[in-house]
Amino acid sequence: MRLLLVEDDRMIGESLRSALRLEGHAVDWVRDAGAADATLSSERFDLVLLDLGLPPGAGPASTTPLQDGLDVLRALRARRDATPVIVLTARDARGDKVAGLDAGADDYLVKPFELDELNARIRAVLRRHSGRAESTLTFGGVVLDPATRQVTRDGEPVLLSAREFAVLEALLARPGALLSRAQLEDRLYGWGEEIESNAVSVYIHQLRKKLGADFIRNVRGVGYFVGTGGPPTADSA
Amino acid sequence: MTSIRVRLLLSLLAMLALAAALIGAVTYRNVLGETEALFDYQLRQMALTLRDQGEIAPDQVSTLADEQLDFVVQIWTVDGRSMYASRRHPELPARALLGFANVTAGSQLWRTFSVATRDKVIQVAQPVEIRERLAASAAWRSVAPLLAIAPLMALGIWWLAARALTPLQRVAAGVRQRDEQSLTPLPTGGLPDEVAPLVQALNALLQRLGASLDTQRAFVADAAHELRSPLTALKLQLQLLRRAPDDAARAGALDALAAGIDRAARLVEQLLTLARSEPGAAPALLEPVDLGELVREALVDSHTMAQALGSRLALDAAPGALIDGERPALGALARNLVDNALRYSPPGARVDVRVWREGDGVLLRVDDAGPGIPPAERARVFDRFYRRSNGGGDGSGLGLAIVRSVAERHRAELALDDAPGGGLRVTVRFKAAESGPTAAAPAPTPAEPAVAIAAQRGAAH
Repeated sequence: MRLLLVEDDRMIGESLRSALRLEGHAVDWVRDAGAADATLSSERFDLVLLDLGLPPGAGPASTTPLQDGLDVLRALRARRDATPVIVLTARDARGDKVAGLDAGADDYLVKPFELDELNARIRAVLRRHSGRAESTLTFGGVVLDPATRQVTRDGEPVLLSAREFAVLEALLARPGALLSRAQLEDRLYGWGEEIESNAVSVYIHQLRKKLGADFIRNVRGVGYFVGTGGPPTADSA
Repeated sequence: MTSIRVRLLLSLLAMLALAAALIGAVTYRNVLGETEALFDYQLRQMALTLRDQGEIAPDQVSTLADEQLDFVVQIWTVDGRSMYASRRHPELPARALLGFANVTAGSQLWRTFSVATRDKVIQVAQPVEIRERLAASAAWRSVAPLLAIAPLMALGIWWLAARALTPLQRVAAGVRQRDEQSLTPLPTGGLPDEVAPLVQALNALLQRLGASLDTQRAFVADAAHELRSPLTALKLQLQLLRRAPDDAARAGALDALAAGIDRAARLVEQLLTLARSEPGAAPALLEPVDLGELVREALVDSHTMAQALGSRLALDAAPGALIDGERPALGALARNLVDNALRYSPPGARVDVRVWREGDGVLLRVDDAGPGIPPAERARVFDRFYRRSNGGGDGSGLGLAIVRSVAERHRAELALDDAPGGGLRVTVRFKAAESGPTAAAPAPTPAEPAVAIAAQRGAAH
């Protein structure tokens, strides 16, 4: 999944980015409210991890500087952007939690927190956001469990690399929806990470070898999807 | 005997007793004088009437008969035989001094008046005690009403004192209700003029206490909040270390964890420094400090950091820059200024530190090569935990707060300007020490020190 991390503290940011990459996410990281607003206005993310206590900064659309994470969140929701947001903050007063959730946060985690809990909450928010109740992604005998990071095919475990897992997770999240190569690259690489040319093709090839040649289908020149039947319409997202 | 009521009551009773004694004494004296004049006149009249008319005048008969007044008439022949005695008073001498006389007879003092004719001596006598008794009873009558109303006045005073002291009890009850949670001012309405200043002084104290408590609370809350970030980082770094998939990742995670621990330790250190220099901390122990020497020592501490950054620290310290100050606090001030300058300057930059005397001041100036601070933001950078939005690094956000706190403690002036090289210029102006060699030493050119010891350190290229 492609995540945006908004965190002003360098050490926390670096550690979180490393930890989230270990989970197979592509992580982009910005450090002030203005940059967060600018990034969220121009790019799409599967989820935002938002610190509330941020240095202020002017966003692209706003005339007054955004003062903190709450302002970023309000601006995001004001644009009718439904990207799920988990607030990560040291502000633990009940009023702060209520304000954060009411401003449009999907979840709220108080620092310091456990990585396990953060990962579980990320999975839960993504699951809810995609409208699923069950915690696993299933299609055509393939079961992907985001929590245990295990994939089975007809009950047999399948060993996948982190990036193969990320590609499969993206495709299984909405079976039938077409994902372009660029969209898949977004899920795999954060800013500043070297993108290997034809990497997506390589991972698709590996996945087809492990899951069956026709499990992932492609529309030549457009993208990939899992599903049966003819090519679906391109996903506007 | 500390009760105002009891004291008032006893004072009143004492004053009443004194007044009664005074009135009694005066009355006694006056009445005694009057009765003496009156009875002397009657003694004389009786004696003269007896001499001239041979009998007591009718208007004096009743007086003579009044045993209370105890008049005694005696008549003797010239050769001393008693011819008449109105009453037997054997102790009265059988002889008389002519005219008025005081005669002691037996245990009594008598007042006598005697006249002599050709053939007899007439004496009228009266015990002096009668007159004194009359005067005493008159005195008693004049004092008695005073004594009668004394208990009433005592009760009145008791009640009045209680009433007058009620505001004090109200104030006491008000003070009892106050604690560190509620330091609201006491109401001053309806207080007597004598109590109002006390309450105003109490309110001023409450206000100062409240302000001090608020400062402390804000400090603790800020500190607790700010400790969360390094702790969160530490926790994440530790978890990353546990999850490290290979040796390279493990080594990286270890380095990050070590840096995190350093940072947490530095924050705690800075918090302690700030707490020590905040108002309300232990009172300052001032000693003469050579600011140039002190800054030189601080630069030694910052040397490592400068070397790591490849930056240069240049010190230009005029000798004899003496101020009265707290050595550890001033050291923290200098270290924080220099660390900040290094932190915000690009690696390899030059940080200029100057200490010199100017007029009655000693100045410390640090110029860095960083981005500077726009004037609009300059007032805020001294706030605790304020971090500039474009500022990199892991500053605690306390450096300049410590600088300000120490400067305020030394009544030094603090100014932020643009450095000539484009960075930030921080100038701290201390008051020069009043005593010491520098006060006597002439300053050749106050603006620019004639002799400067230039020390350049940390030139790691």
